[in-house]
Amino acid sequence: MRRLLWGLWLYTFLGLLSACNPQSSTSDAVRVRWVRDPESLNPLTIPNDIANQAVGLLYQNLLTVDNQKQEYVPWLAEKLPMVQHQDSLTLLTYRLRSAATWDNGQPIVAQDVAFTLKVMNSPGLPNEEARARFSFIQDVRLDSTDARQFTLVCQGRAPEYAYVSGEYPILPEYALDPQRQLRTIPLAALTQPTPVSLSKYPVLAAFVQRYNAANLDKSPMNLPGSGPYQLTAWRNGQALTFRRKTNWWADRLPVQQPQLLARPKQIDFQIIPDNATALLALRRGDIDIYPMVPANEFNRLRKSESGRQALRFYTADSYEMVLAGFNSSRVPLDDRLTRQALSYLFNIPALIKATQNGMAYPSVGLINPQEKAVYNDSLPLLTYAPQQAEVLLRQAGWARQSTGNWTRRLAGGQTQALELSITYRAGDAAFETIALQLRNAAARLGIPIQLRPTESTLLLGKLRAGNFDIYLRTLSGNPFAYDFSPLLHSASTGISNFTRFGTPTSDRLIKAIVREEDLGRKAQLLRKFQVILRTESPLVVLFFYRYRLVANRRLTNLRVSGLRPGYEVMAIEPLPEG
Amino acid sequence: MRPRKKGAAQHAIAVGWLVLIVSAALLAPWLPLPFPADSVDLNHIAQPPFLPPSVPDTSRHWLGTDGFGRDVLTALVYGARTALLVSLPAALFATVVGTFLGSAAGFWGNSGLRISIVYWLMGGLLLVGAVEIVSTAPSAWWLLLLSLAAAVIIGKSLMRVPMLRRSWPFPTDRLVLGAASLLSSVPRLVLILALAAVQDASLPGIFLLLTLTHWPEPAHLVRAELLRVRTLPYIESARAIGLSGGQILWRHALPNAWRTARTAFPLSLSALIGLETTLSFLGVGLPPEIPSWGRTLAAARLDPTAWWLALFPALALAATTLALRQLTTNKISA
Repeated sequence: MRRLLWGLWLYTFLGLLSACNPQSSTSDAVRVRWVRDPESLNPLTIPNDIANQAVGLLYQNLLTVDNQKQEYVPWLAEKLPMVQHQDSLTLLTYRLRSAATWDNGQPIVAQDVAFTLKVMNSPGLPNEEARARFSFIQDVRLDSTDARQFTLVCQGRAPEYAYVSGEYPILPEYALDPQRQLRTIPLAALTQPTPVSLSKYPVLAAFVQRYNAANLDKSPMNLPGSGPYQLTAWRNGQALTFRRKTNWWADRLPVQQPQLLARPKQIDFQIIPDNATALLALRRGDIDIYPMVPANEFNRLRKSESGRQALRFYTADSYEMVLAGFNSSRVPLDDRLTRQALSYLFNIPALIKATQNGMAYPSVGLINPQEKAVYNDSLPLLTYAPQQAEVLLRQAGWARQSTGNWTRRLAGGQTQALELSITYRAGDAAFETIALQLRNAAARLGIPIQLRPTESTLLLGKLRAGNFDIYLRTLSGNPFAYDFSPLLHSASTGISNFTRFGTPTSDRLIKAIVREEDLGRKAQLLRKFQVILRTESPLVVLFFYRYRLVANRRLTNLRVSGLRPGYEVMAIEPLPEG
Repeated sequence: MRPRKKGAAQHAIAVGWLVLIVSAALLAPWLPLPFPADSVDLNHIAQPPFLPPSVPDTSRHWLGTDGFGRDVLTALVYGARTALLVSLPAALFATVVGTFLGSAAGFWGNSGLRISIVYWLMGGLLLVGAVEIVSTAPSAWWLLLLSLAAAVIIGKSLMRVPMLRRSWPFPTDRLVLGAASLLSSVPRLVLILALAAVQDASLPGIFLLLTLTHWPEPAHLVRAELLRVRTLPYIESARAIGLSGGQILWRHALPNAWRTARTAFPLSLSALIGLETTLSFLGVGLPPEIPSWGRTLAAARLDPTAWWLALFPALALAATTLALRQLTTNKISA
């Protein structure tokens, strides 16, 4: 009897112990499926959308997007910036929220924004993309009477500046530069077109060394942000766990604002590359949210009784597209006729049916067909037309040989064969189907195409180095800004313009679109740009996704939208179990 | 009488299946298959077998299609061709290399093969030169051939010096066993995956990988056999009449050990077919456009309800492996 009582006591004690475990219970946590590792959580680099979602939990921008209303709203900033024009300059005056503080209680001030901009423009740091994207910000003027107010001095005029100027994570000066040595270097000195030498600024050189040594790619905890979560665990290739801060500054606000909500106490991103395994995990209740479920499985689950009982299903027309890009710096693809010919070999309707079960929609270019004001509907959608491709190839100077292959004579008298390869992220079934369809269609025409599935960690390097002929990738867009400079401007070649395309005309047009303030004229320019894109064919937009999201029924308020990642993880409310 | 009859029937079935597979593999391009290898039919994605086509005037996918719209029957036939093209040469080459190394190790042991100082010197210099060439200018491999020829000529002339004519034993057994143990100490799949990660997927690449990792098995078998054969009286007699070690090994000892290697060959082939399928299943080794049974099996992961994608390639693989094992069993019992 005594042994039994002891056993009961021990059982009760262990039960109480587990209840006191600081780890949150399953009902507190939201578990999301990620298809791969974010690679890096360095707020300067943000290599992909997955990393972007994670960085958004740790750090805050000045502005953010209300996905459902599809408009910019203030985040760290108190309100949208006040815009003034001064000659060729645009002045954007922001004020930071009075309640915003870092984790150590220090207020977030204009000096932190100036520090962030200096980091984004400092040589020796992995900030090439950020630098190219925010190159219009030339200087920052701090308000001597208000530590939270500052004015960004932007080169040129563009309505998008008011939004884009607030789209980078603000970094804490106290954590990276406790001696405040970077304050001695003016931002304007770093934003000059000619690169600054580190030897000229020993203070900057020391800072760069410190920043790189912090290994922020894998250890973002070395740089605490103002976001509501902190990374508590990163098991490489398995899971990332974010825990809600107990002393987040926005909790002290008297009125809760939608963009400053952070409801889940814990967010677990579980990395499950295989779709079948992810589906099993969803069915077993091991994950709560499965974004972009394969179309067939989505329909199958939606039709099944057990699926309907346990899960909720959401769809939204997205701004995320699948595109094929041509390396226009490589000889077989350096003329537009050859690129146009290859564009006609994609069977887009069949690909939409086969890979997305019809849950996608085609477009004439980079602009979403839902944006009717700027979408050029006078351009026909691309059709599958091998005969047209053959005609274009002949116009491009290619001649079909008796062997069936295509060759053409180069200026030096050498003969060049039309042989290509297509590079895409390995393990993506939709990309593989597209690559196989193109290969098949091209093979019928006598053009051999090799498939090059590449690990996602190597893919970006290959694309940046121009080590490919054709690539497939997804690209997220939005309905706010039409700045195609990172994607197609010649100045972005080797950084984010993987097609290496760029003519003086297209470069001018891209800049003109950004600068144009009149909506009517902007729409005209955008329509013209779509025509140029079709004529030059540096890339082909195959389709825009219709987002498919499946979530556990215990989750509410997912705020599903067509903007990446398709839901707002911080807004989700897990209902108590039972 | 009955067991023998049963064995003969099994043997006949095994041989029949292998003949079918080899014929299908060799004649694949000329067989009346309704779809070319690796063609995609986007109108019939993951279609179950035996169903009539949903689009008029198109051929039927008798064994269904995978999630990419590839015909499973075509993939099986061309997969057999890939298995044969990759595994058969790799098994042959691994057996030849393993037999050569295993027989040398078993016959000469650590002291049976003596090499004169001249050739030790020339060998050392060649090794240093080879490392230098590989690390600095891999494209100048032809320099190695020139150096080899020069080493032989210089070695012959240096042999006139009496002091350099003295010989030292070459530790053949230790080196071969060491290399084999080194390869066996790492799980083969892990080793192949690591090697496949640093080189681009290609047919010659996978052939080299399979050969490099498989030779220790025939080498161990042949070495064990040679350890037995070298103590037999006829080998003693051959030594007594003054035949050289090489002559005894190649002409008299090896033919007795060859039977072991030959018997184990179907097992090697079956293991390599299994390995090639595994690698294709994992998506490494072979380029994605080359059809293989492993790749068809892997397509089942995308659609777990597509039973036909798991069943047909698994049946083909199991039947081929069992048939090859049956051949080995018959050889051993014979």
